Amino acid sequence: MPDRAPSAQRAWGLALCVLLSFPGSHAQAAKVQLDPSVWGHPAGADCVSCHSKSSAGLAREWEESAHGKAGVNCMDCHQADPADPDAREHEGQVIATIVSPKDCGRCHTQELAEQQGSVHAEAHSLIAERVPALAHNLTGAAMQASGCDQCHGSRVKVRGDGTLDPATWPNSGIGRINPDGSKGSCSACHGRHRFSKAQAREPEACVRCHSGPDSPDKEIFEASKHGMIYVAQRANMNLAAPEWVAGRDYTAAPTCVTCHMGAAGKLPTTHDVGMRNVWSLNTPVSERQLLVVLEDGEKLELPAGGEIPRRGAEIRKADGTLGKVKAVGSPQQRRQAMGLVCQECHGKAFAMAFMSQFDSVVELFNGKFGEPARAIMGELYARNLLTPLPFDEPIELTYWELWHDEGARARHGAAMASPNHAWWEGMYLVGRNFYGRFLPEARAVAGEQAAQAVDPHLGEEHHGWLKRPEAANPILGIGTPGGGQ
Amino acid sequence: MSATTRGPWLGRVLTRPVVIALAAGGLGGVLSMVFLLEFHRLTSTNAFCTSCHSMTFAAEAYRRSAHYSSPSGVRASCADCHVSEGLFAATWDHAVGAKDLIKQLLGPDYDDPAVNALHLPDAAFAARDWFRRRDSATCKRCHTLDAIAGKRADTLAIHRDETAGKTCVDCHYNLVHRPVPDRRTFKREAWNRMVEVEHGLAPGAAARLLAEE
Repeated sequence: MPDRAPSAQRAWGLALCVLLSFPGSHAQAAKVQLDPSVWGHPAGADCVSCHSKSSAGLAREWEESAHGKAGVNCMDCHQADPADPDAREHEGQVIATIVSPKDCGRCHTQELAEQQGSVHAEAHSLIAERVPALAHNLTGAAMQASGCDQCHGSRVKVRGDGTLDPATWPNSGIGRINPDGSKGSCSACHGRHRFSKAQAREPEACVRCHSGPDSPDKEIFEASKHGMIYVAQRANMNLAAPEWVAGRDYTAAPTCVTCHMGAAGKLPTTHDVGMRNVWSLNTPVSERQLLVVLEDGEKLELPAGGEIPRRGAEIRKADGTLGKVKAVGSPQQRRQAMGLVCQECHGKAFAMAFMSQFDSVVELFNGKFGEPARAIMGELYARNLLTPLPFDEPIELTYWELWHDEGARARHGAAMASPNHAWWEGMYLVGRNFYGRFLPEARAVAGEQAAQAVDPHLGEEHHGWLKRPEAANPILGIGTPGGGQ
Repeated sequence: MSATTRGPWLGRVLTRPVVIALAAGGLGGVLSMVFLLEFHRLTSTNAFCTSCHSMTFAAEAYRRSAHYSSPSGVRASCADCHVSEGLFAATWDHAVGAKDLIKQLLGPDYDDPAVNALHLPDAAFAARDWFRRRDSATCKRCHTLDAIAGKRADTLAIHRDETAGKTCVDCHYNLVHRPVPDRRTFKREAWNRMVEVEHGLAPGAAARLLAEE
């Protein structure tokens, strides 16, 4: 909404904050409001006495942490009810190895409420059904434990003898399904056992998962102006400050946290990391998304193109259960929230024009590659030219890389301003794949049916250039000085 | 008292039948001691303990444990840990242990690996109670608290500073046999499920097996 007055926009943003954030949240990290008498378990001192000898590293990390200094001890987090599925006896105490978001949420209530139902918390559930087709078939189950699940989180299995199944644990993936039923792992970002604010605000907190071919966000950030300035100005980032409001507590540069979760001006911080995202970027075709907040605190992403659910309506969640709609955040509102962060350092017109460049890349990917490729694949399956089994035919790998790797890279690159990733590592490879591998493979698979199954999906707007073979250009260096013949 | 007064008194008491009885009793006593010593020697061998098929399951895990093969060559036998030291205590343990034999003959089919696994937790709980009641006496046959140095420097400090009011088995359990959770956190349902999966039984079969007994 570029025509809104700044004050109106601010008010709109605030309304959105109220809508999408936990009641009573402020523009900074939530302070635990509990009386200190609720922690300081009497058995904690014994744990520390022994663990400062048996595992001095973790004991020291805890001792120097905010938890340690406040007197929150091992038992305060690790205590368990004997009936808990993963409860075990340890030196006379009943404890659980895994400290789940529900455990952390005993004190950090606001963070738990925000984290529930976020794309992070759902990171395992969202892909659980699809993982075997790639990890198990293409490689083997061992890769799910060491690869996929380390980021997406495992479904932790407690064996009949009370031990944690090593196929599912150790794991600190962000969408881990915990034995207590809660989803997520706070230690995915907050490294044990210091749980340092400064550490979690660093871009490195996200690197373990947001790197590599399908979401190289670390590399993108580093290659962006934001990352460039961050490295140069890291000393001015005030990373260890008790509160960390962009524009107030630091102005040097943004990190991942700043834009995706951080407080900025009057925009409150959130532990729902996807809340400010308009688009789905890791899909065959990107869609603008509604954020549906449910009565039970969970959330749901829905394509904005479909029907907008009404307040009070029942809606099916990712896990198949029903939830009642409490509020719906529109893509515009989500963009508005992200825009408020930008505007702590940039003018509104600048920020919105940047967003427009980003949107154009996403729309280009969708229109030129994502939608036609998906439609062509659909034709090949519908005509029984491909088996339903994924990845047993080469074109399936080609198609997968087109959107999942190269296409995602291009879209992420544009979202976070790395020209290299938007182009060379991204859309250039998408184009090369589409014209150099995907289309030839699709035509080979389609054979005589290519004219019906492939060609109709290549529209004039995006693919008409192929019909003008006479349009020479010196780019290949042929026939130009210094360019060979 | 003089030798002359003792003589007639002794002479009066040590009649032939008494002498014969004493001799027989003494010989009987010696023989029963020898019998008990030999009995414990024979019944304390691993070969005897595993002569029932049901005990071979416990032995499998034992053979993989550090108590079976240690770098120093010290090997603890079944009885080193599970039979008390001293003739009377050992006799008592063997007498109580006879119930295992009775249950083997008349009780559930412990020779069936699934039945065996289903009963393992109760056996483990009973064994842990036994160790605790005796202040881990059989552990201490070989292990001396003051001498535990360990490979890591901290092992010494932990055994010096953190052991007050504790007995070996409070911390050191699940060392030799198949791990079983502590009684407080044991989940019978989950254990049964695990046994069913391991032995290819239908869901609910474990509970039926236990109920049939």
